[in-house]
Amino acid sequence: MPQILPSPGRAGGLAFPFPTRRSSWLLSLLLASHLVGWGQARVALPSAPARTTRPTPAPPAAVGRTTVQYARGFRLDYVGNYKVISVQNPFEPQAKVVRYLLVPRGAARPAGYPDAQVIETPLRSLVGLSSMHVALADFLGASDLVVGVGSFKYVSAARVRQRIAAGQVYEVGQGKELNNELLVAHHPDLVMTTGWPGEGVDHFQTLRAAGVPVLINSEWVETTPLARAEWVKVLAALLNKESVVNQKFDAVAREYQRLAALGRGAAKKPSVVVGIPFKDVWYVPDTDSYMAQFLRDAGATYHWDRTKAASGSLALSFEAVAPVALGADYWLQTGTLATKAALLAQDTRYAAFAPVKHNRIFNNNLRTNAQGSNDYWESGAMHPDVILADLLYILHPELLPTWTLRYYQPVR
Amino acid sequence: MSPASPAPSSPVPVGARRPRLATGLLLLTLLVLVAFVLDVALGPVRIPVLTVARHLLGFGDAADTTTAFIVHQIRLPKALTALAVGSGLAVSGLQMQTLFRNPLAGPSALGLTAGAGLGVALVMLTSGSMASASAIRQLGFSGSWLLVLAATAGAALVMALVLALAARVRDNVVLLIVGLMVASVTGAIVSLWQYFSAPEQIQEYLLWTFGALGGVTGPHLAVLATVVGLGLGLALASAKPLNALLLGENYARSLGLRVRRSRTLIILSTSLLAGSITAFCGPIGFVGIAVPHLTRALLGTADHRLLLPGACLLGAALVLACDCLAQLPGSQLTLPINVVTSLLGAPVVLWVVLRRPVRSAA
Repeated sequence: MPQILPSPGRAGGLAFPFPTRRSSWLLSLLLASHLVGWGQARVALPSAPARTTRPTPAPPAAVGRTTVQYARGFRLDYVGNYKVISVQNPFEPQAKVVRYLLVPRGAARPAGYPDAQVIETPLRSLVGLSSMHVALADFLGASDLVVGVGSFKYVSAARVRQRIAAGQVYEVGQGKELNNELLVAHHPDLVMTTGWPGEGVDHFQTLRAAGVPVLINSEWVETTPLARAEWVKVLAALLNKESVVNQKFDAVAREYQRLAALGRGAAKKPSVVVGIPFKDVWYVPDTDSYMAQFLRDAGATYHWDRTKAASGSLALSFEAVAPVALGADYWLQTGTLATKAALLAQDTRYAAFAPVKHNRIFNNNLRTNAQGSNDYWESGAMHPDVILADLLYILHPELLPTWTLRYYQPVR
Repeated sequence: MSPASPAPSSPVPVGARRPRLATGLLLLTLLVLVAFVLDVALGPVRIPVLTVARHLLGFGDAADTTTAFIVHQIRLPKALTALAVGSGLAVSGLQMQTLFRNPLAGPSALGLTAGAGLGVALVMLTSGSMASASAIRQLGFSGSWLLVLAATAGAALVMALVLALAARVRDNVVLLIVGLMVASVTGAIVSLWQYFSAPEQIQEYLLWTFGALGGVTGPHLAVLATVVGLGLGLALASAKPLNALLLGENYARSLGLRVRRSRTLIILSTSLLAGSITAFCGPIGFVGIAVPHLTRALLGTADHRLLLPGACLLGAALVLACDCLAQLPGSQLTLPINVVTSLLGAPVVLWVVLRRPVRSAA
């Protein structure tokens, strides 16, 4: 299952059928039902000063720089001795842009951004409400900065689990259960949360009033796996770890592109169905979901590859998907139904699907730990190259003959 | 009560009644047949009606396994489920309206639907964190059977409570209040669980509350059909007591009716119908309240020996028609059945109610 406040959006059929708008609606419901007067947050904002894109020469505090190549949901600008992170929803360009000023600790607040939150860098402590945020820190070798998480249950990273066991991490809950008092008492350098950009500013009024910066990570608005993973650059900028991220992320991106070239060039393109239905509804990823991108790059034939949905996933009727499933070569991501017996217990009709007959069902739950938390949603977000290799190995074993599956496993 | 006694305020002359009622029931039967055929013929995948018919009659092209699968595994079970759901909910609604002498009563009046919802919420929202749910899993129930079992258990629990109270409480209004309070308490418990659940669990529960006719196949369908059949049988057997109850409990008692026994029979029948349908298909609103009114208006009688089969047929036709529309002709999407029944059903009832004076339910 997805983790704490699972990146709701364009995961599409990845998780339990989880449509974007509805889940973001649900998310806002959870996050925002206590919010006061968020309408005011949408007052007209001054547009970004033009100079943000023209950094003054020789910034003294910058320890290297990084540029954003794939992600469309945020931009990172180096201005003088500080950095500006602008988070925007690429699907609603007219929506509010949320800005964060990353200022060296102790330096004065730069002029010109009246609404921006100031975050002092480098961070010394971080609270990540979603397990994906733990993965970001882990990727940058900064697990020890994680002092709080939304829920212990959903953390997989070994180093953070050790720290939890040692009592060095606190649990702050999420949504309406967010423990503001605990957060104010510990006063971390940053709380990272999931949400719609431009909507979440006032959800955290209490924390902001107490001087605890809250950053919205909306990595899930991205339409490709690499763009999603690139959000690690936000944390890298916060930690002044640009050189680390350049090296590590570029390695991931290069490997991903190499594998994608293999997959796209594959002679045969096996057909794939994704996800499980619930009664009459079968949510499948639409063309803009990163899952569809994975499938394109893994050399799969995906029936809804070109179908656009307003919400990132298509809510189809069982009958609309069944003809495809009947003749598909593979069935991926059966969610909580981890065995063939469990699949057939939910609906005996699945027995007629070709992937079930030929034992070609694969689920992304190999790295599920003792608490039932699935690392696919955590470290997987940072390792699209490994996920793509898994998919290539499943769909085209001849292309990666020596590969061992790391996130997927056959459903038996 | 003599068999042919007309309803006291009947505007129709006695002589004209019989043929009209017979025609009405015949028309309703035809309506059900047409709706059934339409429901099987229509769907997101376009299949010519003749091809569907051939597959239904067993003359289908054996090589065309996809069409065979769609007709036999998806559409036919769904249409049969719609049939059971429509007739069961309509009849249980009629029984509740007469028993409680309240035109707003429905299958949910006894708190049964809420009880079933509680059972489902127990499985979906507390899985892992509650010992009871995992204990049920250990018994070997998994997947959809687990949900059905939980919903049935929830409904049965509430039914047992209501039956126990029914034995003590003389006043039906008190019983109605008990049902409403039970629904309120279970609703609060479910809300509490939702509050502490992860979003994806809430999503799963929300999907259940939308109601669905699909996914009830094979052994599930057999169980649903059997239980609904049993409930309908009990309901038909209670036609005469229902007629007597229309005149008030005291008058019924003076007619020699054993009110308490009849009441138990009626509650049992409704529990079986509403409990099993909610367990398999989720809470489907509106049908239970509206169809009895429509039936009274269409047949112009208060005699339950005719009203019961009438509501049965009309309910089935209505749910089948709603299911046709839920498929959104020409689209790959399906709307939740619960939305369609209310969205389309309410205007229909308004039209019928406003067009002609409807006899009071009681």
